[in-house]
Amino acid sequence: MPAEVIRFDGVCKRYPMGETVVNALVDASFAIREGDFVSILGPSGSGKSTLMHLLGFLDSPTTGEIFFENRPIAEISADQRARIRAEKIGFVFQAFNLLPRMDVFANTRLPLAYHPRPPADATERIWKALELVDMKNRAHHRPGQLSGGQRQRVAIARALVNEPRILLADEPTGNLDSRTAATILDLFTELNRQGRTIVLVTHDPKIAAYSRRQIHVMDGRIVRDDA
Amino acid sequence: MNLFSGILNGLGEIWAHKLRSFLTMLCVLLGVMSMVVTTGFVEGMFASWSTSLEEGGGVEKITGMPKALSTRQQPFRALSPGFTLEDEEALRRLLPDLAHVSPELDANVTFQRRGKRHTGRLQGVRNDIFAINRYDLSDGRVFSDLDMADRSEVVVLGTRVVDELFEKDEPVVGAWIEVDGRPMRVIGVLKHYESYYQDFNVLRWKNQIAFVPITTMLHKLKPGASLSWMNMKASHLSQVGELVDSATNILGHRHRGLGDFEVKTNDEQLASFARTKASFYFFAAGIAGISLLVSGIGIMNLMLASINERVREIGIRKALGATGRNIFSQFVAEAVALSLLGGVLGVGVAVGVILGLGAALPPGLAPVLAPSAFVVGFTFSVVVGILAGIYPAMQASKLDPIDALRYE
Repeated sequence: MPAEVIRFDGVCKRYPMGETVVNALVDASFAIREGDFVSILGPSGSGKSTLMHLLGFLDSPTTGEIFFENRPIAEISADQRARIRAEKIGFVFQAFNLLPRMDVFANTRLPLAYHPRPPADATERIWKALELVDMKNRAHHRPGQLSGGQRQRVAIARALVNEPRILLADEPTGNLDSRTAATILDLFTELNRQGRTIVLVTHDPKIAAYSRRQIHVMDGRIVRDDA
Repeated sequence: MNLFSGILNGLGEIWAHKLRSFLTMLCVLLGVMSMVVTTGFVEGMFASWSTSLEEGGGVEKITGMPKALSTRQQPFRALSPGFTLEDEEALRRLLPDLAHVSPELDANVTFQRRGKRHTGRLQGVRNDIFAINRYDLSDGRVFSDLDMADRSEVVVLGTRVVDELFEKDEPVVGAWIEVDGRPMRVIGVLKHYESYYQDFNVLRWKNQIAFVPITTMLHKLKPGASLSWMNMKASHLSQVGELVDSATNILGHRHRGLGDFEVKTNDEQLASFARTKASFYFFAAGIAGISLLVSGIGIMNLMLASINERVREIGIRKALGATGRNIFSQFVAEAVALSLLGGVLGVGVAVGVILGLGAALPPGLAPVLAPSAFVVGFTFSVVVGILAGIYPAMQASKLDPIDALRYE
């Protein structure tokens, strides 16, 4: 069995919203292993974004434990977590989240700027990542000059440039037309075939169908896991 | 991310908000400029003063000078004769440790010769003055005992006076000139003194002078006047303190206890010079400090506004692996880039202003380019950048990535 990358152990997340407390995630337990292509499927408000943020330790659980490579992340300092994000995790956001004042090349370089051990071949890696998403010829365009699909491809290149162990994608096709979406998903499938671990968050069963394993979330609870 | 790329990135941000950055930078620019220019003014002013002090007799010099009477003593002012030749006589007789004593009576007079006129300062003195105030002759002789006794109409001229009255290559020594209409023979010419600070000859006062025997001055040019000063010089520096006390006693006795004089050393003048200079520097530093404080506030304001706009960017950077420290140094570097640019431009503008004023103002009043001011102005702008950047950068680094990502 392949090694565990991330494991959730009875994870709950509650946060106050006005007077009431929202149970965003209740008793979630699952493991993501090396080479998995998992989709987290659920309607909006089901807690999948919370799950996503917890997976990238942008957020901490209220109770329960999250392990990254078998280390409990509660024992990892905030700086250390940032370093792990820079080194081993790639994020793709629904809203692309490119920095508008930097060109495509500079945006793609960002994770390497924060990498604890910047690779010597940084420039080549950036070109390689841009080539992979077929954006090499737009390297010196600003995000504002690109279409949605192109921007998302740049965001994917940025997520891949540090050769992360795991790629987290939050509704990566949410803002794209179906044809562009299919291209992006094919790219994910290809990346997974090459051995990359991928977690895809979506509300769309058709997109989830691209993955090899689905985790269904409803009202903060995991209602089905194909593992 | 190292400091250099941080500053480059900061310059990019500055460029992205041109007007806003320009206004903030203007504050830094004016702050650094006012600092460099005021320091330049102070330097320019004191450079001439300090060289003059050195050349005015050095540390062994002791000066008796008139002082206003206290209100309590005012009714008795007629009791004291003021400085007289008898004072000089008493000082000479009672204080053998004084190497030189010379009374001095100053007058503003008009020199005339063959249709040329020149108004200048004339001092009635004894030969000792040349030793006390460090004057040398380039030609001719000083006063003889006979000149003193006879109240001879002989004069020793500084080079500036010579230049005003004589054509080039005309013989000066032995020539006759008129001093306030009275014919006098030139018996000596002083050396030409110069010591340039920028374009300004700080020793020019030593050339703008002329001497006659004190007896001549007292009896023929300003009859009945009392002496302006009593100049003395100790044989050795170690005796200066004691001689000041003794001279004060002797003069006090002769002036019948009236405090219409004081005895000072050059040392005290140097000290008061240092004090005045220090207070001017404090003043200048105060002005500059306030302007830099203002620019610091401007930078902080700009950074806070900028961070508010860039909450999302901070969230993205954090999600991509930036630590709090990365974010912190990014924003500090931006503030430093801003103030550094302002500082460089400020120094540049200051150079322009100083050169401009140097051309427009008379020497001695004009500011000078003081290298220390550049270093201080430059350092200050960087320090202001760092200090003004710290608080906003801390705010930025503490942002929760989740909140930052959700922020629209």
